Amino acid sequence: MGAYFQNIKDGFTTAFEGMSISFATMFVRKETVQYPEVDISSNATIAEKYKGSLMGMPENYRGILDVDLSLCTACQICQKACPIDCIVIDNIKCDKTKLSDGDGSPVLNRFTQKEALKTRTVTRFDINAAKCMYCGLCEKACPTSAIRHTNQFEMNRESQEELILRFVSDDVKATAEKRASEIEAEAAAKKAAKAKKAQEEKAKEKGAEE
Amino acid sequence: MDATLISIGLDPLTAKITSMVIISVIVLLAFVTIGGILTLVERRISGFMQSRLGPNRVGPQGALQWVADGVKLILKEDLIPEGADRKLFRIAPYFCLVGIFGTMVVFPWGKGVIVADLNVGLFYFISITALVVFGVLMAGWSSNNKWSLLGGMRAAAQIVSYEIPVGMSLLVPILISGTLSMGGIMASQGWLPWEWMVFKSPFAVLSFIIFFIGSLAEANRTPFDLPEAESELVSGYCTEYSGFRYAVFFLSEWANLFVLGGLTTSVFLGGGNLPGALEGFTILSVLVYLAKVAVVIFVVIWLRWTLPRFRIDQLMSLSWKYLLPGAFIAFLGQAAYMLLTQHTPIVQSIIAVLMFLVFVFVLIRFGLKVRVSINEQRIPVNSPASNVS
Ligand code: SF4
Ligand code: SF4
Repeated sequence: MGAYFQNIKDGFTTAFEGMSISFATMFVRKETVQYPEVDISSNATIAEKYKGSLMGMPENYRGILDVDLSLCTACQICQKACPIDCIVIDNIKCDKTKLSDGDGSPVLNRFTQKEALKTRTVTRFDINAAKCMYCGLCEKACPTSAIRHTNQFEMNRESQEELILRFVSDDVKATAEKRASEIEAEAAAKKAAKAKKAQEEKAKEKGAEE
Repeated sequence: MDATLISIGLDPLTAKITSMVIISVIVLLAFVTIGGILTLVERRISGFMQSRLGPNRVGPQGALQWVADGVKLILKEDLIPEGADRKLFRIAPYFCLVGIFGTMVVFPWGKGVIVADLNVGLFYFISITALVVFGVLMAGWSSNNKWSLLGGMRAAAQIVSYEIPVGMSLLVPILISGTLSMGGIMASQGWLPWEWMVFKSPFAVLSFIIFFIGSLAEANRTPFDLPEAESELVSGYCTEYSGFRYAVFFLSEWANLFVLGGLTTSVFLGGGNLPGALEGFTILSVLVYLAKVAVVIFVVIWLRWTLPRFRIDQLMSLSWKYLLPGAFIAFLGQAAYMLLTQHTPIVQSIIAVLMFLVFVFVLIRFGLKVRVSINEQRIPVNSPASNVS
């Protein structure tokens, strides 16, 4: 009998409690992001119009990939790491440079802890965001952390073509190619000079023998 | 209406029929509009209660969403599954519609605004809504689908068992007002809250609670929406319906919500009674009535989006073990109470005011609780503030 009345009491008190919560929710701001109106391409733009309490994705969210070309050594490791081949990299010779980050300290290879050296540069770095499955394997493989996930996911475009992220612009490509041919020419000239010198030395040696 | 039609040269019989047709078309249209708007209201409110916005794209603040939904449903193909009992399948939705639509006859929209103030109005009300059971059962049976059948059976079991406590609890207002006519019940109440039926005695409060819970179950509203339990029965008895017939089911379900609110208001919450000085302003009376109905509908929607669904055995035990004895106690108690206080109306009024004060006290407690909840929910989810606590 006690349980019977306890049930009735519980029925009323729990309904009372629950109803107070759902009623209160009516007066708390709404979490809905009104998508096309609110620009969700970055946390800052979300904050402009949106008043709810959800502020973007967490920092470790695996969103759209981004490449910092100043850190990239064109080693193509990420291209090989990708299980579905959605990264395409073309590279070309460039001036030997030591990579350095913003404040000038050298960038280390994450695996060997040696200073990262750049001997080649990319002339094409395409990531097909339509194919990418955001697995993060490329990010893990990159020795200089040049390729990484952002926490953005907004990738709504009119065609698949637009979903291919091209990180190297035509201008950059042209300058890189020009520089590469110069380097090649220089190298060829150096080689020729070296060969000539070697020949001369040989000739000299011959002369001395005789 | 008849008179005007006769004056333009129609014979009395044609005039009568024409006016009946016109009136019913008007009422039907009003009904459709009410049902449609209620779907929108429910969706918006449920959105707010879940921290969402709800439909707000069609028209200003989504005001035309229900039109769009209706047009969409009507344009859809009306499928009849193979092996279905075609006749029953076709006719079932209209039983539901007629069951709800029929209540309009005795619907007291305000003081004196009532199509027919039958002297058995309340009785008529209860019995005509029972037609819905037929509709639901027929739909479930004729669909040739196990979910539909289970849904229909559940609906029948549920409505039949809840009709008893509801009917019993309505005996209390009948005892107090001494009449079965809707207009009479409304007239026996006043405009002040403590003159309403619900606060007239402790037993009236009890009967109101039982009536409210029971009619929620009769209207298949959550937490008693077992006939349509989506997670178990797909969509219950209307699983196989599509197009216009589905729209009819849909409409009668939401119109039922309005009928529930209307019955509760006119029997327990004072209907469209106005203070003596304002007597005679029919429009005002209708507005007061509709405002009260809106509050009741809000509470029903609010309950739906708060409480989880019952299990079928819990549902049955609630009806037979809790509501039915409660209704008996309310009925007998009210009879005894009336005998005891028969000659001392002053005691009756004092108790009524006391009941009202208790209600106000509960309301204040509730308000305080809501304030606590609001403050708790104001803490943003993804921010440092929420990590601190
Ligand atoms: S995240 Fe995975 S699928 Fe996408 S580019 Fe990197 S390795 Fe390929
Ligand atoms: S692995 Fe890193 S450094 Fe190598 S090509 Fe890819 S992004 Fe550039």
